[in-house]
Amino acid sequence: MGQLIILLPALPILAALINQVFSRQLGAQAARLSVSTAIVTFVLAVVVLGNVLSSGGAPNQIALGGTWGILLADPLSSLMAVLISGISLIVRIYSVRYMVEERGYGRFFMLLDLMTASLLIMVAAGDLITLLVAWHLVGVLLYFLLGFDTRSATASRYAFWTLITYRIGDMAMVLAAALLFHAYGTWSLSDIFTQISENPGAHQYFGFALEEVVGMLLAVAAFARSAQFLLHTWLPYTMDGPSPVSALMHAGIVNAGGFLINRFAPVFIQTDTVLHILFAVGLATAIIGSVLMLTQNDIKKALGYSTMGQMGFMIMECGVGAFSLAIYHLIAHGLFKGTLFLSAGSVINEARQHDGVPKQDLYTFVVERRPAIMRQPWLVMAGITLAVPIVILILAHWMVAQDFFQKQGAIVLLFFGWVTGAQLLFTTYRMGSQNVWRLVGIVIISFAVIVLGYTLISHAFDLFLYPDSAFRSQIHAAAGIDVFWFDVLVVLTTAIIVSGWVLTYYSEQNRLWGQEQLNYLWLSFYALVSREFYLTDLYAWCARAMLKTAARMNELLRWR
Amino acid sequence: MSQGLLIIAGLFLPLFPLSMVFNEVFDRVRATKLRILLLFIWPQIGIGIAHSTGVDIPAWLVIWALLTALLYGFRALVLREVSLWVSFLATSAWAVLWVVMDGDITGTQLAFYALGFSAPLALLVLIGGELEKRFGAAYTGLYNGIAETLPRLSGVLVFVVLAVIATPVFPGFSAMISAVVNASYQSFFAALMLSLVWLVWGWAGARLLQGLIIGEPKGEGISDLSSGSTWSYVLMVSVLIICGVYMIGGLS
Repeated sequence: MGQLIILLPALPILAALINQVFSRQLGAQAARLSVSTAIVTFVLAVVVLGNVLSSGGAPNQIALGGTWGILLADPLSSLMAVLISGISLIVRIYSVRYMVEERGYGRFFMLLDLMTASLLIMVAAGDLITLLVAWHLVGVLLYFLLGFDTRSATASRYAFWTLITYRIGDMAMVLAAALLFHAYGTWSLSDIFTQISENPGAHQYFGFALEEVVGMLLAVAAFARSAQFLLHTWLPYTMDGPSPVSALMHAGIVNAGGFLINRFAPVFIQTDTVLHILFAVGLATAIIGSVLMLTQNDIKKALGYSTMGQMGFMIMECGVGAFSLAIYHLIAHGLFKGTLFLSAGSVINEARQHDGVPKQDLYTFVVERRPAIMRQPWLVMAGITLAVPIVILILAHWMVAQDFFQKQGAIVLLFFGWVTGAQLLFTTYRMGSQNVWRLVGIVIISFAVIVLGYTLISHAFDLFLYPDSAFRSQIHAAAGIDVFWFDVLVVLTTAIIVSGWVLTYYSEQNRLWGQEQLNYLWLSFYALVSREFYLTDLYAWCARAMLKTAARMNELLRWR
Repeated sequence: MSQGLLIIAGLFLPLFPLSMVFNEVFDRVRATKLRILLLFIWPQIGIGIAHSTGVDIPAWLVIWALLTALLYGFRALVLREVSLWVSFLATSAWAVLWVVMDGDITGTQLAFYALGFSAPLALLVLIGGELEKRFGAAYTGLYNGIAETLPRLSGVLVFVVLAVIATPVFPGFSAMISAVVNASYQSFFAALMLSLVWLVWGWAGARLLQGLIIGEPKGEGISDLSSGSTWSYVLMVSVLIICGVYMIGGLS
């Protein structure tokens, strides 16, 4: 099996080399070579995953260069390899026709092959050096893929934004690797993790526990890669790149933050505050990303912000200790977001020919904002809204783990599930429908199916990725906070959300006080959101100021 | 005495303002071959002098070197002339060698790291010469879009710039990792500064590439690199990659 894990990245590298060296002879055949290699790589990845499953998840590693070049075949790497090779295969098949009229057709497939290889090495890396090499290369290759159209200054500009943000994350990762090597005297991840678990807190770094410092640096690396708030501005602006690259990026590259946190789980379980910071940053990103998405009128940019929101949720899941759920989330998100990007072009094309406005209740309600005039008794609906989701969620979790109430992370996620379910039902109540009870019934059944599926699959992921129950408990313990403050937070958040619902309902029913002031506030907020909180302007201004300073320094020092 | 020698070494492993001497010399030497020779020999003299002192590198000198590296990397952001860019990046990269020297490293390893920084810069001098031959000047922003008009030259340029900014798996990458590990022994601040140096190199490299290869092509009809020249460059870049992979193995 060790040989197979080497073949996974080796095949796309070989295809890239052949594509580059024989580009003139191959011509359009470059695509065929790339797709064929991608098919074989995907099959191999499935075989590796099958082997890992049949061996009960026991990790297997192979070292290519002594202290570095270690490749791991473990549950996490094999699962990620199937995802990456699968999405990469679809993207390449799609690109065969999509890119055929572009200049540099062969170069595009060469870059895709190299990107696939780098991603596969990244997920299988068993030592810090290999991980650093692959992590850096993904950023560099993405820069060239996003700026593939060398005539487009805009594409190049935003490719650069991506590169520089990724470099910030890379630097944090380099620092983390240096500190780990400094403390443990080895680059091997398994050796480092063994030493950490045997003797946690053994090393201090300028007064802080080493695990805490390393965990924070790794978190920064994950934030940059997964477009978390303040490091997110590159993501929605990279739409000038080819659509297949957008699909690959949103489906397989931005998810790397979740992967990194899972890979370094033995470090994160020894930290006190890092997981809480992950939760806070993830939550802020999820909310801000979703709000920004709602204000976009460009489908691809809206998808970009949607990815930001989803990545926020993924990081938040890690923050509550649901590490394996984050992996399930990134796989599910990768598949649906990849599909959306690849079909975005067809939707735009279709919309240019037909307005495509469906005269349905859903459209008039969501887009035209015309709620139904006839409504059901609000008390009954409020009861259903609040009670049904929580019953479904508790029953679903009861099926997989009866002690889930002991885990704060599970409570937090249940809470989010409840808010989402309740919001869905609350919205349905205001939507016009010939048979409102049928509509509510369908919504409840859909919700139950999603919750059951999510719960069962994520539980299976938990058992596969972290078979050691003691380790799973450690993750949840590391993510936990003091019970009193946790209860206070839950009650406070519930009160805020329920009050918000009640206020919204009554203000619409009775035209409450201050409606005009509220409208003004709402418009001001919309203006702020539509300018993306002025963050991109601020960053651009900072960059210009730095360049001006550099130019002045050069003049002052007479270019010497 | 040894401190004085270290300062003299600061001429060759440039420390600001002594670094201005190298930049002046590099600017005055116009011949490509001499410039390449200068790039290879200059830091080796510095390493020789610094090693001959046999003393540990003082912490203040490491900070001074890091500030120099950051200063020149930062100033390189706005440079448009390729030869000046080479000169500034060389100054910045060689200053980093003080940090590497501060650790447990042999003179030979250090000499290899210096070569790892110098070799891609020497290749960039050659490429600058190729650009001058075709356009009269090696200057960014003058003739955009050479990715289309000169695809071979652009391809080589991209790889060489990546090597200069210490991208994996070029030799500069191992030197930078080694330097960051050493700096983290001393202080987090030093390691952070070094990371900033690496970051501005990436920024400067991207700006250089964007000023040459991106945009609507101008100057069509200009001949690209010949097949033989291209293969020579490919061979040299391949050697750099092989050396880089070898040097990564030496990081333990």
